[in-house]
Amino acid sequence: MLNLFSPTLVLLLQEAERSRIAQMLDQMRQAAVAPDLSKFLVIGALLFIIGVAGVLTRRNIIVIFMSIELILNAANLNFIAFSRYLQQIGSPNALAGQIFTVFVIVVAAAEAAIGLGIVIALYRNKETIWVDEIDLLKW
Amino acid sequence: MQKYIWLVPLLPLIGAAINGLLGRKLRFSEKLIGGIAVGSVALSFLISLTAVYSYGFGGHPEWPKPYVTSQDGFSFNWIPGGAVSINHGAEARREAESQKQVEEKLAAMTPEERSQTHSILTATVDSPRYALLNIEWSYQLDPLSSIFMLIVTGVGLCIFVFATGYMHGEAGFYRFFAYMGLFMFAMLVLVMGSNFVMMFVGWEGVGLCSYLLIGYYFDRQEAANASRKAFITNRVGDFGFALAIFGVIATFGSAQYTDVFQQAKSFPIELIGHWGVLSWIALGLFIGACGKSAQLPLHVWLPDAMAGPTPVSALIHAATMVTAGLYMVTRTNVIFQHAQTMLLVVALVGAATAIFAATIGITQNDIKKVLAYSTVSQLGFMFMACGVGAFAIAIFHVMTHAFFKALMFLGAGSVIHGMHHEQDMRRMGGLKKYMPYTYWTFMAGWLAICGIIPFSGFWSKDEILWKSASMTYIPLGWLVWLIGTIAATCTAFYMTRLMAMTFWGKEKFLEGAGGEADEAHASAYDKGLAAHDAVQPSAGDRPRHEPGEHVGPVHEDAAHHVATHGHGEGHHGAHIPHESPPSMWVPLAVLALLAVIGGFVGIGPAFRSVTGSEHPGGRLNISTWLNPIIWNPETREFNSAEGAHEAAPAETAHGEAPATAEGAHGGGSGYGDVGFNIAHSVESSTHSELATEWIFIIISLVVAGIGMLLGGLFYVWRPELPNIWAQRLRPLYNASYNKYWVDEFYGLVVTRRTMDASRGVYAFDSKLVDGIVNGLAWLSRQFSRVVGGVDKYFVDGLVNTIAAFIVRLMSPLFRAAQTGLTQNYALVMVLGLMLAVAAFFAKDVAGAVQSILGSLRPN
Repeated sequence: MLNLFSPTLVLLLQEAERSRIAQMLDQMRQAAVAPDLSKFLVIGALLFIIGVAGVLTRRNIIVIFMSIELILNAANLNFIAFSRYLQQIGSPNALAGQIFTVFVIVVAAAEAAIGLGIVIALYRNKETIWVDEIDLLKW
Repeated sequence: MQKYIWLVPLLPLIGAAINGLLGRKLRFSEKLIGGIAVGSVALSFLISLTAVYSYGFGGHPEWPKPYVTSQDGFSFNWIPGGAVSINHGAEARREAESQKQVEEKLAAMTPEERSQTHSILTATVDSPRYALLNIEWSYQLDPLSSIFMLIVTGVGLCIFVFATGYMHGEAGFYRFFAYMGLFMFAMLVLVMGSNFVMMFVGWEGVGLCSYLLIGYYFDRQEAANASRKAFITNRVGDFGFALAIFGVIATFGSAQYTDVFQQAKSFPIELIGHWGVLSWIALGLFIGACGKSAQLPLHVWLPDAMAGPTPVSALIHAATMVTAGLYMVTRTNVIFQHAQTMLLVVALVGAATAIFAATIGITQNDIKKVLAYSTVSQLGFMFMACGVGAFAIAIFHVMTHAFFKALMFLGAGSVIHGMHHEQDMRRMGGLKKYMPYTYWTFMAGWLAICGIIPFSGFWSKDEILWKSASMTYIPLGWLVWLIGTIAATCTAFYMTRLMAMTFWGKEKFLEGAGGEADEAHASAYDKGLAAHDAVQPSAGDRPRHEPGEHVGPVHEDAAHHVATHGHGEGHHGAHIPHESPPSMWVPLAVLALLAVIGGFVGIGPAFRSVTGSEHPGGRLNISTWLNPIIWNPETREFNSAEGAHEAAPAETAHGEAPATAEGAHGGGSGYGDVGFNIAHSVESSTHSELATEWIFIIISLVVAGIGMLLGGLFYVWRPELPNIWAQRLRPLYNASYNKYWVDEFYGLVVTRRTMDASRGVYAFDSKLVDGIVNGLAWLSRQFSRVVGGVDKYFVDGLVNTIAAFIVRLMSPLFRAAQTGLTQNYALVMVLGLMLAVAAFFAKDVAGAVQSILGSLRPN
């Protein structure tokens, strides 16, 4: 592990030594003002992973729901990012991503309504919202 | 208007469909059903009338060529057949052709060459011709089909109106009119179709409707048997007809009348002693005609068909369907005239049928049976006319017969109706007082069928007899004439007998059962019936089984009769007959009018001094009208349209009769010498054609008079005579009374033998075939028992052991995997997804990692 990271540290130190910090800061500023596609994708992926982790690990069904929303929003972010990217390169079909996002939001809203209804029904029957106590799928 | 003749068959079909499909479900009233049926037929009649008028008399451009609806697009390609090879002439023609060519080549050579080349000489023969066979569904309007259209729709209309009255109160009113409408459709397709296949469709259609309508009272064993008998007997004829159609298609490559007859014109005439392809076709056609028109070997179904309701007997078994055979023979007169042998056969069969049925008619006691045998006999007359070559006259007789026989059947129906379903003439008598309209109209029919001079039957029947005496198409014409004359006498006799027993004399229905002296010689069955009737208080409402009829056990259930013959419940007590309602006697009056004046369209050449013309009336004269469809063997062409009025050469100018009369003198009729001809013998002594014709007219009038006088003598003035003469001529009387035992003969020779054969085949099947099959089944059962044991104990044991082992091994694992917790499943899904992504993008990921590492490495 140390072997993997030590060259990076060395490199960073060397860069600093070569006093390119100003150049780097400039690049970072530029990236903040006009971030490119990959950054969005990375954030989307992170959101997705967080969502999946939430779904897989949390016991409270409400939180799982929220995690699912995260997953959906990760997808939305990707759509928006691609839409923006396509706009930049001048594609005629750039709006499709945004439209899809609206669709996803609508579906998410509907899903949340139904899901919460299910949760209430479940709670009335089982008196719990802990998913590890609900193993009805076994039967 | 002729464009729309396709509506003529369609309208009755629509009416039948409405009545048949909805009549019961929607509980149509009798008025509605009758209205639909009569209305559709009336419309058809009007369309036919206007179409025929505009075709024949309205200056139609097609006249006299056949008008086919496909000319105006009212048709469709019904059977797209594609190319067929025509093997006409077949082997023989090919042989002859090559032989001729070889001989010609030989003749053209010098002797030296001949000796050298003889062995290698070859001939070229035409390869078989091909034709494009497409059978279209189109209707044809020509002189022949117009006459039949008018007869079928016109007489049909009268009978439909009559039936609304006669069938009043029957349980299956809607069913009756649905069948009748269907019959009209089929009959019109038969006569209006433009090709043989359509004729066959109509042919089978009328056969089906005949079956359905004979069996209308299907709850009566007798009616059910009769309908089956009719159907099966017709199958024999239809078989011949179908073969003939195949022959036509194979020979001419087309089924369209116009094509076929144009080609057939150029075939050589097959004289007696030659039997070629046209003779075969004609034979098949005539077998078909025999079946449908009840000619001698196949006549047995028609008298039994009287088990159907009386309007059916009038429409189907007297006026229209049974004349389909005549229509067919006349339609194919080109083919028949090419086969002299078949002409002779047609004439002889017709004559034999005429005399055979007429003699049976003398002794029958059921009023409808008498009329049925009379119909068979009259059909024989028509075939006589066809056989001697007088096709137009045959159609003329079809027409007049349709008028007077439909009239008489309807009159009989009216009598039966008035007598509360009594059909035995021995229980009638004196009805003229009670049923005046029926009586007077029946009188017209009687005079017509007997052949009294101004009435319609005279013109056609006399013309038939004259033609059979004078035409020279076939030998033995004198025999045909002689038989026809005797049959005409018999006709006059038994018709007078019918009149006398029904309308004149004592009112025997007042005396109850019993009656005429004939009862004394009735068969044992008949006696049993009489005794039975004496017990039953109401003789009027018994089932219609006839004396001497083998109908099997009959159920005498009074309630059942009331149900079948709906009316008459209220007035059982009163046996006084009553006149029929106007819906029944008005059609009678119309038909009576036609029976009186209908003959004037065919006044023959004998009356030229009175009428001023050979065939007076121009196109209104039936001979002139039909001329264009009749092939003339002398000119080998169809006759010209206005035969009588054109100044063509003498042989062809006068239509048929004079043509053949004169042609025979010159020996140019195309049929060679046919031997003794009675008319020519008479003519050679009188030296005047006109006088000869008049001699024959007087003979036919005299024999009709003799027949009527004898009838009067036997049944009016000296009623004890029938008894005496029946005793004296006991064997003859029995033969006639029992219809010459033809039914018994068929029963013994055909039915029994068929049954025996079936039993033999059944025995073979049940013993041998089934034995083999069952033996095999036993064997395979034993074998499978063994196999089953092996399977059950060895194979299954093995499988079960292995399966149990695997299950025991794996089940804990699988059981543990199924937690029922959604999250676990989701986890598995995500892991799987990651695996998939990893597998899919493994290369890219590795590459990316490498490049990052590479870029990070200090260079």
